[in-house]
Amino acid sequence: MKKTQTKTTNFSKAHKDYVKRLKRNKFAIIFFRIFVLAAFIGLWELLTAVGVLDPFFISSPSRIVMQIVSMAQNGTLLYNSWVTLYETLIGFGIATVLGYLIAVALWWNENVRKVFEPYIVVLNSLPKIALGPIIILWVGAGTSAIILMCVLICIVITTMSMLSAFMSVDEGKILLLKSMHANKWQIFFKLVLPSSMPDFISVLKINVGMSWVGSIMGEYLTSKAGLGYLIVYGGQIFKIDLVMASTAVLCVLAFGMYFLVSLLERKYHK
Amino acid sequence: MKNILTFKNVNYFYQTKTDEIFALNNVNFNVEEESFASLVGPSGCGKTTILSLTAGLLKPSSGEILLDGENKIDRTKIGYMFQKDHLLEWRSVWKNIALGIEIQKPENKDEKLAKAEDLLKKYDLYSFKNQKPRQLSGGMRQRVALIRTLVLEPKLLLLDEPFSALDYQTRLSVCDDVYSIIKSEKKSALLVTHDISEALSMSDKILVLSSRPATIKDNIFLDLEGVTPLKKRKDKNFSDLFNKIWSELTNEKNSNKND
Repeated sequence: MKKTQTKTTNFSKAHKDYVKRLKRNKFAIIFFRIFVLAAFIGLWELLTAVGVLDPFFISSPSRIVMQIVSMAQNGTLLYNSWVTLYETLIGFGIATVLGYLIAVALWWNENVRKVFEPYIVVLNSLPKIALGPIIILWVGAGTSAIILMCVLICIVITTMSMLSAFMSVDEGKILLLKSMHANKWQIFFKLVLPSSMPDFISVLKINVGMSWVGSIMGEYLTSKAGLGYLIVYGGQIFKIDLVMASTAVLCVLAFGMYFLVSLLERKYHK
Repeated sequence: MKNILTFKNVNYFYQTKTDEIFALNNVNFNVEEESFASLVGPSGCGKTTILSLTAGLLKPSSGEILLDGENKIDRTKIGYMFQKDHLLEWRSVWKNIALGIEIQKPENKDEKLAKAEDLLKKYDLYSFKNQKPRQLSGGMRQRVALIRTLVLEPKLLLLDEPFSALDYQTRLSVCDDVYSIIKSEKKSALLVTHDISEALSMSDKILVLSSRPATIKDNIFLDLEGVTPLKKRKDKNFSDLFNKIWSELTNEKNSNKND
């Protein structure tokens, strides 16, 4: 019985040394992680301060911080971050829900799946940015175009990943449920859905990254506000501090969203 | 005694894109109520096809299958146990056992849940009720799978090599457990196995199948001494019966080669 493995509290010196080594290694990894970042920022600041690198082209950490502070003071930071975050979250939500539902429909009926499979493969390989002009023509320039771009980028991968997760559910388990007289809904809700949860969490993680790509790409195409807009605008007026500051904020927001999904993952694995 | 299962002149063809495979040829047999029957035969002969037909997962090409005297398969009368336990890892032991009840939503749901509790207590699994399947040993998992099948109170249990994934020692003891559970719950069972000694030690009757297209080659009634499969293995006729079935199966193989 796996449960009754013996546990001892009197550890030998070798074990204590082993644990100490493990702890030391963990500490060293954390230390070097911080060190790499600090060294990068420090070196960047130093090289721009002494004039080796030109801050006009690559900015500097202190100038980025000052830029962020001034943006925070005049309200542009919060406003533009919110605009992009809003587009990303809506796009992420629509793509995930819709992509999932399409995957369910394709799983449900084999013939429907066979009909649509080649289209999905083509759509997946198409660079969605190519659809930019069409999107603007269809829904007009502005937030809806950006959200649609975001949806298009995430939806195909959501459908493909979830469909392959649904299809890889153990045939034997499906047979078991059938032998219990389960209908298709019951097979989906009692078996397919829960067993594809790990894949769903992976899809969420992928979509977090992809939806930011979508919204920034959308803002590059057509926008009057947002972090992507600030990046393009900063580039056009050669204000590299603005470009770098917006990118840094974007980094923090994207990481925040990824962190929330990984919290969900941890909760699921408990 | 009344028959729980009857196969009358059953033929079955598998259809594939390039071929039509004749799997079962005029199969006739009975399983009596509260008895334990086993199907042995060369691999790929169609043993599992017989179970799938019984469970209503396949329909016979011709012939008749009577379950509990009726020629309409009522799946609620059948419990299917597979080679793998197929426990759902995200559900606790209790939730796994209640799976069939959740699906079938029987009127006497509370009664069946109470029965599930009794079975867990009776077979020393009650303290693991809230554990996840990964915390159980292989033998315990297979017992949980059996209880999951039994709570639905099927009249006939179909066992498709349910012990083959276990190591030898566990296999012998789980065999004993499963046998005594089935007997004490007064169920009928149809076991498919490759293992002749397993079939001999558990069954009241062994049906020997020929190679494909399978037909019933021999029908051996057993009356070995001993209350458990392990004890039955000590019966003086055990090895003779083993050799008899073994030679029937090897003859089958050889005649196939000569064909």
